[in-house]
Amino acid sequence: MAIFDIIGPVMIGPSSSHTAGANRIGYMAALCYGSPFHSVEIKLYNSFASTGFGHGTDRAIVAGLLGFKMDDERIPHAFEIAKKRHLSYNFRKSYKRDHHPNEVRIVFNRGSNHSFLIRGVSIGAGKAKITQVQDDDVEFGGDHAILLLNYQDITGMIGFIGGVLGKYKVNVAYMKSSRNALIGTAMAMLKLDEECPQDAIEELKRHSDIHRVISIRKLNNEY
Amino acid sequence: MSIKEIPNRIRIRSTQDIRHYLKSYPFKGLTDFFMEYESRNRLLPKTEVYKRMQSTLIVMKESIAKGKAKVNRTPSGLINGGCHTFLNNMPNTIHLMGEWFNTVIANTLAVSELNACMGRIVATPTAGACGVMPGAFLTICDKFSIPEDKQIQSLFIAGGMGELIQINASLSGSQHGCQAEVGSASAITASAIVALFEVSLDKIENAAALAMSNLLGLVCDPVAGLVEFPCVHRNIVGSVNAIACAQMALAGLTSPIPFDEVVSAMKQIGDDLPASLKETSRGGLAITPTGLRIQRKVRDEDPEKAY
Repeated sequence: MAIFDIIGPVMIGPSSSHTAGANRIGYMAALCYGSPFHSVEIKLYNSFASTGFGHGTDRAIVAGLLGFKMDDERIPHAFEIAKKRHLSYNFRKSYKRDHHPNEVRIVFNRGSNHSFLIRGVSIGAGKAKITQVQDDDVEFGGDHAILLLNYQDITGMIGFIGGVLGKYKVNVAYMKSSRNALIGTAMAMLKLDEECPQDAIEELKRHSDIHRVISIRKLNNEY
Repeated sequence: MSIKEIPNRIRIRSTQDIRHYLKSYPFKGLTDFFMEYESRNRLLPKTEVYKRMQSTLIVMKESIAKGKAKVNRTPSGLINGGCHTFLNNMPNTIHLMGEWFNTVIANTLAVSELNACMGRIVATPTAGACGVMPGAFLTICDKFSIPEDKQIQSLFIAGGMGELIQINASLSGSQHGCQAEVGSASAITASAIVALFEVSLDKIENAAALAMSNLLGLVCDPVAGLVEFPCVHRNIVGSVNAIACAQMALAGLTSPIPFDEVVSAMKQIGDDLPASLKETSRGGLAITPTGLRIQRKVRDEDPEKAY
């Protein structure tokens, strides 16, 4: 937090957590998904479910998915714009104590057997975090550029990833890795000072044991 | 004391820390200190930091004009053209104080109502309290034809004071009640107003301490959970209080309790407040018979209530 979090952010009202934060989850989710999409299912939890309607939480999320930021005056018209752009969405509500008070689950659907799940929480003052991507537990806001990798749990993978990043002079600010022993995959979440260059991403993708690479730019100075 | 090079990372926890930095390093004053602070925290050059505050100020000014330009209404009916009615009726209404007093009320209403209607505002420090800074500070800037540069400088100081509240307590109604939102907004607005006329940390601190002290204990009990009532009208309390406290501080009145300690008191009171009075709509005005009736009406209108 700093001075522009006090005098700011510039945002569409009425609530920094229920409107701006919700918008940011939608915006980051679309960046994570990274390809065009035409159908999403959105589940609102707890406080988002009970007071979301009055706060425009639903429209703010759809606006974020359309790529509108929290200060975009198109947010109140997000539903109409989604219709024009052939984005279909539906909302569900859930009240569960073991979920964050301001949580959203977004599922991107393509065809009948492709779906992609992203979960995020709004943590106040217009800030938000993505907490889950598919089966991987993650945690990132917009303070750093992010690189998310999902790969086969075999030896030498972290060394390979580090080698590629080093070659492209990408500095790693933070790294977390974990594995899913049941299905033999692992994931790494890296926070970077600068966005990972496209060439490095391509090189990582070419490795046959790396299943998924998601790269997101740093957001916090955009608002 | 020898003047050292400004360190890469500036950390503040109290007004004492700010005094220490100002004494020990070659800052060109309070605004320069907070610009440097922001620049180093965000890894942005100072010129960019300045430009960003300039564009923020423009949005803040626009929010007054936009809020006044239309009749603001929300589906709940809690916001029902209040600012419009206020301005329309003013020619035939007795003016209890001077005209500028009414402008403070109208400008605060305009921005707070615009926020409730999904308009573009500057969350200063939160969306719920966004009417206070434009309503009080910008109205005074207008009254005294303050140059833009001076306005921007004062906003940095207000932001710095808010940063101390954020670090030592919070700015969130759900954590510490409305005292953390409108109370904080009023405190930083009072400091910004003082800074327009005298860049004295003592006076700035006194104005903020008095403004925050006056609003300690203010609860967050929004009807139907919406940022509408009493939020919008409480913004006016914040504006009027900010101007009164700035006026007192400029006239040399001091707060017996220093700002840092008032902020600690706000945190302690906020921690002690029951959850029913911290943005849950389970207490206060929200659970009056009329409050509950409005809540039922709002929920019934939700097209997705079936889920």
